[in-house]
Amino acid sequence: MNAILVSVVVVNCVLALLFSLGAAPILVWIERRVAGLIQDRLGPNRCHIKGFRLGGLIQSFADMLKLVFKEDFQAKSIKQSFFFSLAPVIVFASAFLTFMVMPFADHLVIGEQTFRMQGLPIDLGILWFLAFAGLSVYGIMIGGWASNNKYSLLGSMRSAAQVISYEAAMGLSLVSILITYGSIDLVSIVNFQGNTVFGILPSWGIVLQPLAGLIFIVTAFAEANRTPFDIAEGESEIVGGFHTEYSAMRFGLFFVGEYVAMSASSALIVTLFLGGYHLPYFNTQILHQHMNLFLMAVMVFVPLMSLFFARWIRRNNRFSAQVDIRNRESKVLLKVLAGVNVLIVVGLALFLIMGLGETGVHIATAVIQVATFAVKLLLMNFVFVWVRWTLPRFRYDQLQDLGWKVLMPLAIMNIFITATVVVVFGV
Amino acid sequence: MMDIIFMVLSLFAIGGALGMVLFHQPVHSALSLIVTIIALAGIFALLSASFLFMVQIIVYAGAIITLLIFIIMFLNVKESNLPKEPYKNITLFFGAIALLPVNFLILRAFLKLPMAHASLASDFGTIKALGMELFETWLLPFELISILLLVALIGGVVFGRKEEEA
Repeated sequence: MNAILVSVVVVNCVLALLFSLGAAPILVWIERRVAGLIQDRLGPNRCHIKGFRLGGLIQSFADMLKLVFKEDFQAKSIKQSFFFSLAPVIVFASAFLTFMVMPFADHLVIGEQTFRMQGLPIDLGILWFLAFAGLSVYGIMIGGWASNNKYSLLGSMRSAAQVISYEAAMGLSLVSILITYGSIDLVSIVNFQGNTVFGILPSWGIVLQPLAGLIFIVTAFAEANRTPFDIAEGESEIVGGFHTEYSAMRFGLFFVGEYVAMSASSALIVTLFLGGYHLPYFNTQILHQHMNLFLMAVMVFVPLMSLFFARWIRRNNRFSAQVDIRNRESKVLLKVLAGVNVLIVVGLALFLIMGLGETGVHIATAVIQVATFAVKLLLMNFVFVWVRWTLPRFRYDQLQDLGWKVLMPLAIMNIFITATVVVVFGV
Repeated sequence: MMDIIFMVLSLFAIGGALGMVLFHQPVHSALSLIVTIIALAGIFALLSASFLFMVQIIVYAGAIITLLIFIIMFLNVKESNLPKEPYKNITLFFGAIALLPVNFLILRAFLKLPMAHASLASDFGTIKALGMELFETWLLPFELISILLLVALIGGVVFGRKEEEA
């Protein structure tokens, strides 16, 4: 036990919390604003604290507060009180656990020690995800059953049938990926993707295994119970599905658990198919070698982007009335933006002048990789939201047909092709 | 520390198994079976068999018991339709007594185990080591078991098929 170990572990835990639990309000915000964008309306933008709206982000926090303070109502017909309360806990906990093995950065070397940059530093990777993603369906099943309500039971039955069918296709699509990468450890999978194929394309999973990628993304949508696979809720058919009887924080746990599960699925998709924490064409070694150049690029790039952002704020967040409280937000935001820029530029310049040293370079690499991972995670989450508001829900029989008759044969075919290629060419 | 974790896990495993037998409601029995299975997975992890630990959760807890509970819930058995079990406690008591000799055998076998154990190889229980062992030393039994499973699968499909109307 030393100070460096403790601080790295604390940083990892905080990062894992931020990316999963901390992302929930932001994901809710993205969901509603993107829904607004797609349906040609504004979405929530009125809620504010002394004029600070942050584009509607405050609304998510207001919603959370509302859920916390609502009456926790439980219908008299519910006999299985224990299981009724246990169900949201299972959903939340298993969603949370699946996120814990996602690597945020390459192995961090400080002095003699090497650290894994994961919430839980273990190398079980994909298996861990499969295990706990499979457990989350118990929460939905128990919740629907304990609610003692037809609609709830229908919802949980649908959900269980869906998860069982899609888990098969998901597992099979993962097999071909494992053959390609030759490891279940997510860090070595990402490092495998740091090179290039044919000299031009980054060797990301989606380039090497496009079919497996497609199957995995579709099944990941189904595992996360998101539209077009949200027949477990199906509000136009079975009221609210498995969470019809839930209110207040017990519903809140289901709600947050769904977003954490979505974030975990996105993280796994990013890790397996989109190069994980690697910037395209810049793997860890290249970043180590050219750190100074890279820092200079950041010094130029960040102020430029901030300039565009500041101009956007000035154009769009201005109100004609002199006393309008919202004008204050623009002023403060612009000042904060300028301050952050000065800090970044001066700090980086200091680093460049004084020289980073080996440990400094390693830490800077880790920071850049965590940032890359965060951006990719947000983009993938955006895709989840985008699909939800674009595609209609599958009918139940169509969903089962897709799972068993299309995805599963394709996945098996992909295993054969991959295995043949690996054996013949010895890749 | 390891001893405490082992004891807690074993308590959960035994408690789950007892619950599985004793509960009246089928859903409760199935759920307590999951407790046993996850506790067993934890014991595998304690024995540094990491692959078995994960596979135990994926296959048993994640797939088989899910299917079991799915079917129990699907049938939606009413409280009044459950069989009355008036002699349950007595049956269990005599069943336990009948199993005592077996327990005695197991205990003897356990006591005969060599107590001094060699230290494990560093890759013990990992996927690669396990796969090498399975596909080199135990290849024939492994393939035979696969065929057995395939036969069972086909049998299940044949029995589950609806009779065609003549």
